[in-house]
Amino acid sequence: MQLQDKYRIAILSAYALALHGFESLIPMPIPWIRVGLANIITVTTFILFGFRAAMMVTLVRVFIASLLTGSFLGPGFILSLGGGVSGILAMGFVLSLFPGLFGPVGLSLIGALFHNLAQLFLAYILFIQKIEPVLIITPVLMLIGTVTGLVNGLVADLLVKGLKNSEVSIQNTPQ
Amino acid sequence: MSRRESGTRLSLGKTVNGTTPGDRVLFILLLIISFSGMVFIKEVLPQSKDVTIEVEGKLTYRYPLDTDRRVQVESPCGHLTLEIKDKKARVTGASCPNRLCELQGWISRGVIICLPSRIIITVGGPEESKDREVDAITG
Repeated sequence: MQLQDKYRIAILSAYALALHGFESLIPMPIPWIRVGLANIITVTTFILFGFRAAMMVTLVRVFIASLLTGSFLGPGFILSLGGGVSGILAMGFVLSLFPGLFGPVGLSLIGALFHNLAQLFLAYILFIQKIEPVLIITPVLMLIGTVTGLVNGLVADLLVKGLKNSEVSIQNTPQ
Repeated sequence: MSRRESGTRLSLGKTVNGTTPGDRVLFILLLIISFSGMVFIKEVLPQSKDVTIEVEGKLTYRYPLDTDRRVQVESPCGHLTLEIKDKKARVTGASCPNRLCELQGWISRGVIICLPSRIIITVGGPEESKDREVDAITG
């Protein structure tokens, strides 16, 4: 990994962490529902710098966020990690299998979908172990994930275009 | 802000128009799947066809919702009559002063709670609730 990549990943992770922190300030009607603002950065990173960078940014965000909030290795951490990693894996698979079929919005939707499915699966295996509540919540989470995935994808799309247009892009940060 | 100067302005409308057909199909597909999933799972899940009555946190009666009947439920703090008819249940003749439980009327699913008498009536509900435990009872 080149030095420049490390700078990019560090800066993008910082953005993701800031959004992650900001999101926890937004009141939500149900505590475990999240907009997933940090995924804007994930999708942007994925499109601009590829699978590995996006994976690194997500891992850094999940680990540091859990250390900051004190939930490291707790249930929330495990769900975050599993969801984040599988979301990126799914995005990577889809992009390599069907290049050009999906834009940022589609990739964001796929990321959100697999993020939720992985979290539900992990929650079922590790914590709940009853299929009924998981089945009841699955379509609800899918719907929320679809809506937030759409919004995040659109914002990421705007961000990607803005960064490509602008002279001052992340690519030209200190070297 | 060099973004504005460097030509193409960013707009949400353009971004929405710029989505690929794959994006749109995926979005609509996901919406359809999640909505139909909600409806489907509600129908498919094994619904307990029982009415359970808890007095002071202890499960005291369990009746099938299929057979019509009237039950007199007694608790140390009061009494009420539970009426089951047409797979629905309601409370009549409660001893409590404000009779909130009676106002709830006929329900086919849900809970009627008579707080003064400490009687909880659960209609339907997931099968799981048979081994449900009460965390704490205050009084």
